[in-house]
Amino acid sequence: MPIDIHEDNLKHGLLGLVIALVEIIRDALKHQALRRMEGGSLTDEEVERLGSALEEIDIAIDHIKEEQGLSETVNSVRDGLDDIVDDVLDQMVNPERWAREMKEEENKNG
Amino acid sequence: MAEGRYVYCVAADSKAARLGNIGIEDNQVYAIPYQDITAVVHACAPTPYESQDKEVVDKWVVAHERVIETVQEELGAVLPLGFDTIIQGNDQGNVEQKVRDWLKEHYEKLKDTLDRVKGKREYVVQVSWDTKTIAKELIGSDQELKDLHQQIKAKSKGAAYMYRQTLEKLLGAKLEQEANRRFHDFYDKIGSCVDEMKVEKLKKEEQPRQMLMNLSCLGDPKEIHTLGGELERISNMTGFFVRFTGPWPPYSFV
Repeated sequence: MPIDIHEDNLKHGLLGLVIALVEIIRDALKHQALRRMEGGSLTDEEVERLGSALEEIDIAIDHIKEEQGLSETVNSVRDGLDDIVDDVLDQMVNPERWAREMKEEENKNG
Repeated sequence: MAEGRYVYCVAADSKAARLGNIGIEDNQVYAIPYQDITAVVHACAPTPYESQDKEVVDKWVVAHERVIETVQEELGAVLPLGFDTIIQGNDQGNVEQKVRDWLKEHYEKLKDTLDRVKGKREYVVQVSWDTKTIAKELIGSDQELKDLHQQIKAKSKGAAYMYRQTLEKLLGAKLEQEANRRFHDFYDKIGSCVDEMKVEKLKKEEQPRQMLMNLSCLGDPKEIHTLGGELERISNMTGFFVRFTGPWPPYSFV
């Protein structure tokens, strides 16, 4: 099947990818901030500043997504990434399944 | 030119029965027996059925399914094969002999499996929950979550945001615990109503719904009302949804 590349389509996809990456970085920052707060290494004032900054990032991202109609594209990029990670983890946690899939693949090819 | 045989299923029977023009594209369906088991086939070219047209493919798949159901009705036990299973003949050999050889080679295993699924059907049970409803319930009932929820109300804007994240994280962990507990509970209850179960991969659902379990169950259609009762109890619980389909031929157990 030929891949249909349309200029708007491409822009939309690229922007979706960028926002998905920004979200992932934001989540990582949030995770670190929470760990420090729960570890007790932040003063009240630092917690307040971090919280406000992260909230502003949330609002900004939501705003861009809404304005550009990107929610669906961003979700599908993140779901796609989730699925890949799920599969890899699944193979590590269930090596039997992995072995079975390898065998099936071999049978198919030979 | 080499011939092929499209194989629908294997059944327990020793007669070379003819089932009529009920196959894919109205092909004549008939049985090739080996001892007391038989392959249900139609004659075809040794190339798979392929089409870009979804409607055409749907028609083929429905016909495939219907043949298996017919055989199941008539012969009781059936091992359904996947769509597009074709045994290829070679130039000199007789393709029907090849089908018989295949039955002969796997006879023990086919026979065992046929005995195991005899008189039984496959049922698919999917249980989902509404994460929003369940989360609300948890915040109301779990002391740790309740306290945190109260604390947030007294915090200044930035700090409240951070504590909301903590609450969400804790809530996520508690939801997972709860999901695990429910899974085991349902698994045991459903397990007591059927002969065999297989845990299938979860499917993605529209937020805030989330699938908790996806099971293929093998059971006797005459006993299946006990499963129905169990599932009804689950679907009556607030925030839980059950999807139940069947009876199907035992695709997941062959």
